[in-house]
Amino acid sequence: MAEVHVIGQIMGATGFSESSLFCKWGVHTGAAWKLLSGVREGQTQVDTPQVGDMAYWSHPIDLHFATKGLQGWPRLHLQVWSQDGFGRCQLAGYGFCHVPSSPGSHQLHCPTWRPLGPWREQLARAFVGGGPQLLHGDAVYSGADRYRLRTVASGLVHLELGLLLRHFDRYGVQC
Amino acid sequence: MAAAGPSVFLLMVNGQVESAQFPEYDDLYCKYCFVYGQDWAPTALPLASVSRADGGAGAEEGPRTVTRTEERRQHGDKARPWGWRQALAFPVYFEGGGNAVSSWTDVGQEREEGLEEGISQITSKSQDVRRALVWNFPIDVTFKSTNPYGWPQIVLSVYGPDVFGNDVVRGYGAVHVPFSPGRHKRTVPMFVPESTSKLQKFTSWFMGRRPEYTDPKVVAQGEGREVTRVRSQGFVTLLFNVVTKDMRKLGYDTGPPDTQGASGPSPQQGLPP
Repeated sequence: MAEVHVIGQIMGATGFSESSLFCKWGVHTGAAWKLLSGVREGQTQVDTPQVGDMAYWSHPIDLHFATKGLQGWPRLHLQVWSQDGFGRCQLAGYGFCHVPSSPGSHQLHCPTWRPLGPWREQLARAFVGGGPQLLHGDAVYSGADRYRLRTVASGLVHLELGLLLRHFDRYGVQC
Repeated sequence: MAAAGPSVFLLMVNGQVESAQFPEYDDLYCKYCFVYGQDWAPTALPLASVSRADGGAGAEEGPRTVTRTEERRQHGDKARPWGWRQALAFPVYFEGGGNAVSSWTDVGQEREEGLEEGISQITSKSQDVRRALVWNFPIDVTFKSTNPYGWPQIVLSVYGPDVFGNDVVRGYGAVHVPFSPGRHKRTVPMFVPESTSKLQKFTSWFMGRRPEYTDPKVVAQGEGREVTRVRSQGFVTLLFNVVTKDMRKLGYDTGPPDTQGASGPSPQQGLPP
């Protein structure tokens, strides 16, 4: 079986209007993929930056996959949340990005969005926080069922991923 | 042995903890250590740990003018607060042409046992407009492993005096050692943990003690971070030269040699204006 190592960091986020941010992340793969070691999902620290407007998480990722097929190449899905002074959390953005398919190190900038409710909810969110969330998180990384959503852009999540491939050339696969 | 093929690969890392940007703080020093998976073992020691060990011994014999910093350093020597592992001192060989076997590195034999970690000098900001904190502190370590999982990370922690002269932490940070051979520059964001309660915040301000990680290694771990609140307040710039051996022979493809990182990872990660 061919092997893929994904090693890197979720660096942080920019462009969100909220200041104390954290990120819930997970990896989704096809059925042919097996996670040999590493954790499939996690949650970063909450950063309140003092310099600049980028929240830094420096959250390490180290995943070791074995695969029998190319379909279902790993994709990372991200949920950015903000925390206010009372410790309440509110959704700031959803996003996903495919793990790059070529070996080497990659800088990824994942755009995010959040669901937009009717104007009454939007008004309520502006004053008291909250706002709509997805019931099923898989809409973040799958294209089905998206057409019913109304969304608005939010910030960018920055990732730095290194990719190590093993034995792909043995099967004639070019990445 | 050549017929069986290699089962280990080597990762040589050298470079330096170059400099830092901490707009709010001055007179800082930096500690680093490496955190790596179970399949990994260091095969050579950084120069720094040896010189530090000497310095620590000298300080004990000398006059008793021990500052907090010295205490921390000596403490660091004795308590071995993190990632301590007895280094394996044995030579590493190239498979040369024919039967010729040339020694690649045998520094491990000459150095006494120690840690793959170091403590820098205390530096002050430059007087010019850069306001840079320069350490120019060497990193030199070689790892061997059978599996890239648990790829080494360098964990940095920066300390400096507060208004009362106590040493307090000014930032923790971590980054993976680059994969691909070549020269790489990394700008590591540095953050400190925050108290979660207002009362703790006040007492820590009042007592001049702020929250620290008992083990800085946690910044290299992905688990258990969801409960920590942090404040990022600076950057450390690292320079790496990476050499790998036998990775390709083991079937790993690390991609094209990349030097693009040498100009800095990304604009977002750059130094604050």
